[in-house]
Amino acid sequence: MTSISSRRTIRRVLALLTLVALWEIASRTGIVDPFYAPPPSRVVSVLVSLFAGGAIYPHLEATFLAALVGLGAGVVLGIALGFAAALSPVIADLLEPVMILLNAVPRVILAPLFVIWLGIDLASKVALSLILVTVLIFFAVYTGIREVDQKLVERVRTLGGGRRELIREVYIPSLSAWVVGNLKVAVGFAFTGAVVGEFVASSRGLGYLLQFAQSTYNAGQTIALIVLIMAFVLVLFNLSERLERRLLRWREGG
Amino acid sequence: MLRVRGLTVGFGGAPVLADVHLEVRRGEFVSLIGPSGSGKTSVLRAITGLLRPLSGGVELDIPTRDVGFLFQDDALLPWRTVRENVALGLRFRGVEAREAGARADRWLSLVGMAGFGDRYPRQLSGGQRKRVAIAQVLVLEPPLLLMDEPFASLDAIVRTRLTQELLGWVEREGISVLLVTHDLEEAIGVSDAVYVLSQGPGARIRARHEVAIPRPRDVLESRRHPEFDTLLRRLWDELSDASTPAGEPA
Repeated sequence: MTSISSRRTIRRVLALLTLVALWEIASRTGIVDPFYAPPPSRVVSVLVSLFAGGAIYPHLEATFLAALVGLGAGVVLGIALGFAAALSPVIADLLEPVMILLNAVPRVILAPLFVIWLGIDLASKVALSLILVTVLIFFAVYTGIREVDQKLVERVRTLGGGRRELIREVYIPSLSAWVVGNLKVAVGFAFTGAVVGEFVASSRGLGYLLQFAQSTYNAGQTIALIVLIMAFVLVLFNLSERLERRLLRWREGG
Repeated sequence: MLRVRGLTVGFGGAPVLADVHLEVRRGEFVSLIGPSGSGKTSVLRAITGLLRPLSGGVELDIPTRDVGFLFQDDALLPWRTVRENVALGLRFRGVEAREAGARADRWLSLVGMAGFGDRYPRQLSGGQRKRVAIAQVLVLEPPLLLMDEPFASLDAIVRTRLTQELLGWVEREGISVLLVTHDLEEAIGVSDAVYVLSQGPGARIRARHEVAIPRPRDVLESRRHPEFDTLLRRLWDELSDASTPAGEPA
């Protein structure tokens, strides 16, 4: 089992390395135009110089701040609204149409509006990342509460549990399962919100750098930034996956 | 211990149960049999207050929360370990965690699940989950136990073994039982009295039969008792009769 999965990992790494090597050769020999697809070695050196000069850090800070604040606030707001809608039919009637509408459209189209309302600084990026996350978590919580297993509710009641015990033993755990299960997606959404917000209008952040690199036709820097953002999101994915497995260890079979 | 008087239950439209009367005396093992869809489960749900009857009522000699209820399915809290699941009712009653855990462990070993305390329900087989569900209810030492076809989903061997063990605990602890089942042989094998429910809608109690097989019982041995076949025959006739809708020739 272990040897099979490690052999698969080796195969995947080899495939990736081969691809990178082919790209390097093609770009160096001029088979592809290095202006459009600079060789990976150039991309790496751009990345190194970004970090070595220290110029990247304020941008990293801006993007991470926007994404993490948006993520945190979005999760809290999504849980609060989801709870409110599940407990009160009036609130559900008010919120559901808005949320369904927001869920149906690509929410990033709101970015220009947020820039007009909140300016080109942090606030508009946080707002975009927050709205992306909030809608996701709202539906997770809302369906989570409505689809709580009624058998478990009855079980706890016949064992002598009251309202408080029901919330503690049944509602909160099944809710956390839904929310934690959506955390990975939420992390991706939060970064999308921050970067797209910066892309639209800003003076700092990875999205700003990306936009700048694009407007100067700097393919090397553009690719470097894309790789950088991917790397960060993958690390965060991995962290939330670990958190998920830790919190939901009861899900794993024997 | 328990008296059900004139219980009528409905969900809009024709009532499912109409004017059901039955009684479980202290220490008595009573079964309620009936065709599927006759509302047997509704009787139990009305007794525990999970279902509000249209009319009639339930008299219990004990508080409702002291009634043990063993459900048909084995839904345990998936996010709680086996031990925590068994200790749940004790914790609700304010028993301190360590003490509750110790009592849970004692019952886990009684139901043959010693050493499984730290597992999660998902890691158990159906029969094992059933054993945990039994421990979860019996750890509370309920004076009255309601059971809704608790072993229906198990294979015959596990089923017989669990029935025998459960019968042993019930006899030893003097627990009064109301068992709902559609299995006639099971009902006769374990009960002191069997009620027959007619076909719904508007199901009523058709008859009550005493089972004169001495205790303690062995589920398999009881089948050889002369009483067993006679009663089986009678219940069979009554039930096939009951399953025929009114007005249709049998």
